[in-house]
Amino acid sequence: MEHISKRFGDFYANRDVDLSVARGEVHTLLGENGAGKSTLMNILIGLYQPTEGKIFLNGKEVRIESPSQAVALGIGMVYQHFMLVEAMTVFENIILGGRNSSGIFIDREARRKEILELSERYGLDVELDKLITEISVGAQQRVEILKALYHGAELLILDEPSAALTDIEVEGLFAIMRKLIGEGKSIIFISHKMREVLHISDRITILRAGQVVTTVDRAETDGQALASMMIGRELSGSHYEKRVSKDRPVVRLDRVDYDKASKHNGLNGVSLEVRQGEIVGIAGVDGNGQTQLAQLVTGVIAPQSGAISFDEKHVAVFDPSAFIESGVAHVPEDRNLQGLIGSMSVADNLVLKSTGTSAFSKWRGLLLKKNAIGDYSRKMAQRYDIRCTSVDQDVRSLSGGNQQKVILARELESDPSLLVAAHPTRGLDIGATRFVHDQMIAARDRGVGILLISADFDEILEMSDRILVIFEGQIMGEFSGENPPIEEISLAMTGR
Amino acid sequence: MEKLKRSLTAFIVPVLSILLAFAIGAVIMALLGASPVQALQYLLKGAFGSRANIGTTLSRATPLMFTALCACFAYKCGVFNLGGEGQFIIGSVAACYVALRSGITGPAAAILCLIAGALAGGLWGAVPGALKITRGQNEMIISIMLNYVATLFMGVVYTNWLRDASVPQTEAVPEATQLPRVVTGMRFTWALVIAVAVGLLLYYFLFWTSTGFKLRAVGFNMTASRFNGFPIKRYILTSFIVSGAIAGLGGAAELLGTQLRLINGFGAGYGFDGVAMALIGQLHPIATMLVAVFFAALRTGSTTMQAATGVPTSVSDIIQALVIVFSVAGMALVKLPEFEAFRLRVFGKRGRKEGVKA
Repeated sequence: MEHISKRFGDFYANRDVDLSVARGEVHTLLGENGAGKSTLMNILIGLYQPTEGKIFLNGKEVRIESPSQAVALGIGMVYQHFMLVEAMTVFENIILGGRNSSGIFIDREARRKEILELSERYGLDVELDKLITEISVGAQQRVEILKALYHGAELLILDEPSAALTDIEVEGLFAIMRKLIGEGKSIIFISHKMREVLHISDRITILRAGQVVTTVDRAETDGQALASMMIGRELSGSHYEKRVSKDRPVVRLDRVDYDKASKHNGLNGVSLEVRQGEIVGIAGVDGNGQTQLAQLVTGVIAPQSGAISFDEKHVAVFDPSAFIESGVAHVPEDRNLQGLIGSMSVADNLVLKSTGTSAFSKWRGLLLKKNAIGDYSRKMAQRYDIRCTSVDQDVRSLSGGNQQKVILARELESDPSLLVAAHPTRGLDIGATRFVHDQMIAARDRGVGILLISADFDEILEMSDRILVIFEGQIMGEFSGENPPIEEISLAMTGR
Repeated sequence: MEKLKRSLTAFIVPVLSILLAFAIGAVIMALLGASPVQALQYLLKGAFGSRANIGTTLSRATPLMFTALCACFAYKCGVFNLGGEGQFIIGSVAACYVALRSGITGPAAAILCLIAGALAGGLWGAVPGALKITRGQNEMIISIMLNYVATLFMGVVYTNWLRDASVPQTEAVPEATQLPRVVTGMRFTWALVIAVAVGLLLYYFLFWTSTGFKLRAVGFNMTASRFNGFPIKRYILTSFIVSGAIAGLGGAAELLGTQLRLINGFGAGYGFDGVAMALIGQLHPIATMLVAVFFAALRTGSTTMQAATGVPTSVSDIIQALVIVFSVAGMALVKLPEFEAFRLRVFGKRGRKEGVKA
């Protein structure tokens, strides 16, 4: 791929990217969330058309306009989330949408022989007559690979293939990958895990902010160098003054487990505390248990073992309302789904949790004081710079930044002792991001303890007084927010 | 301003649907060889032409109001109660038992009947609600199935336990226990007053109390409501019980005011009519009641129309069905992004400016 650019509006998801994959090599794409890996692969398999640039296959320029064309050209992709029909057998899934489908009838015997030959040749051990639901995740992945090969793939794209696998299955996967390149196939491997990248790659291309940093040979590099190239920043100093809080902890987690067998949606023995007046940043690549951590600390889910305490008091009831009463505020990761009632007005969303209070209703909630709600909302709209034509406007018609300010206003005005902010500035522009950050710092200075969960490393560095790194549901280490050791942190984020 | 704009869009869809339905109805009338203008005149006259006709229309609107409010309330909490008919019937059965077997008559008995009806309806509504929150069962299917159970159960009651001699119907409610007419010369009874009171109460509850506010929030977005600490399961169950109680109360009131006895076909169709009316009324209790009156008017007026012009009453049924189709389609339409784009293109500047600001 040469000089590939892909623009969405004013935003370059890829900018002047060169990538060349040789026959018989494992070529790794390494980069943070949002570095442009997925966009690049979507271009290669024909889901997106590049804004600029050319793609060459075996020295010939090709235009890939659809995924089926990509398949015809010998490019196969195995997605992180498998695309298999669960109610069908392995055999049926493999031949689904297949070539040589002349006429109505399927020559099952011939197909079966073909598939068995392939599976033997590459060591892709599958049971053809089992239903997809009956086989393990590792086996499902082998089905995906076999399917790609059956459809004639010469270049295989594996998108975070180890994400769902156990360690033993990962070893099996690597053995298959070696066999494949031994037979002259090529593989593009996408992963966040440094250990795996170092283990299997022949060459590594590092993407950052949509651009190629460099392509290096595995032999000439090490994890430290790769991590710093991937994160790629010098400490520029934060806008904000960092603090070391010696106050009492507002929340403490003690060896908390939640679905710990799952590396990506679970927590394994997490202990941490957030003190009054400090921001604790949870750094990590998306999908390492952050969602579960946020939901545990806000009472949406209950831990399977371990304990949570607020102000030194054990929590017994895991329910959001009990946590809200203990003084927990939550800026959830999905503001439209979890934070706001889109079809209700800005005003309604601002008072969502407090309509029963005497400020907004008479007689214990029996009569809403609509004027008081309106006045309060206009005041909040001004204080939190919520730009709307009227506070009676549906909140869903606001921009993401203004929606986030509505949530922030509601949560901070509840006078919390703990604020859990999950990806608070995701998708926001610079101005709104800065505003949200300023408000969080102001809250910290008022004594609120803040747990900041973010996949945006810059945000973590900018905001945190202490930094904890999460990887596969475990806390990998704790670092100071003042002059944080960036390389160490970024290595921890990739599991070293 | 914003509020006005919102209620205006909410208003336009049903009104346009009604106009369109009437336009098509007029074409059908013309094809049948009648003068549409004349036919519609008689339709109107039959529904509202005299005190007696207005009384009949309101009388027919009464049970529809109850089942429509029943559907409306559950919808507001984001669940679908398609069991209005069953709850209506069970309410009337309970009321019938109290009226015929409690041994008391008079206004006190009437009140007792109404309470029994509401309780029975609430209990019937609690079943799909409880199965939904504890077992995750689909509340639509359970509530529909319970309609059949209620209808068949009523059959047992009027053919066996409360049978009136050898006729497959129950004895009539004693006169002293019946709900009297409000105004002499007009057929509607105190049941209408109860229906309107329930509607106003629902409006007040939903839009002026903290609990009603939260219930609407649950209806719009259950996940966010849960994250914000609302006990959504409790809201769902309660909304089912209240919704069922409204229908049950309606069944009792219909029995005591108009039908006076249980008989084959009692309450048939009211449940689904109610769902349609709640949808056309945009789930607003007061609008929903007006829609019920409108539908009752079409039904009452069509008889006069048939007698005077020979246009069959089924044309009125067609119009009613078309109103439902158009308003449901219309509501889906205004939610489409294409429609929003179209609106911005047509109403140009103002819309665009708002878009930028937002």
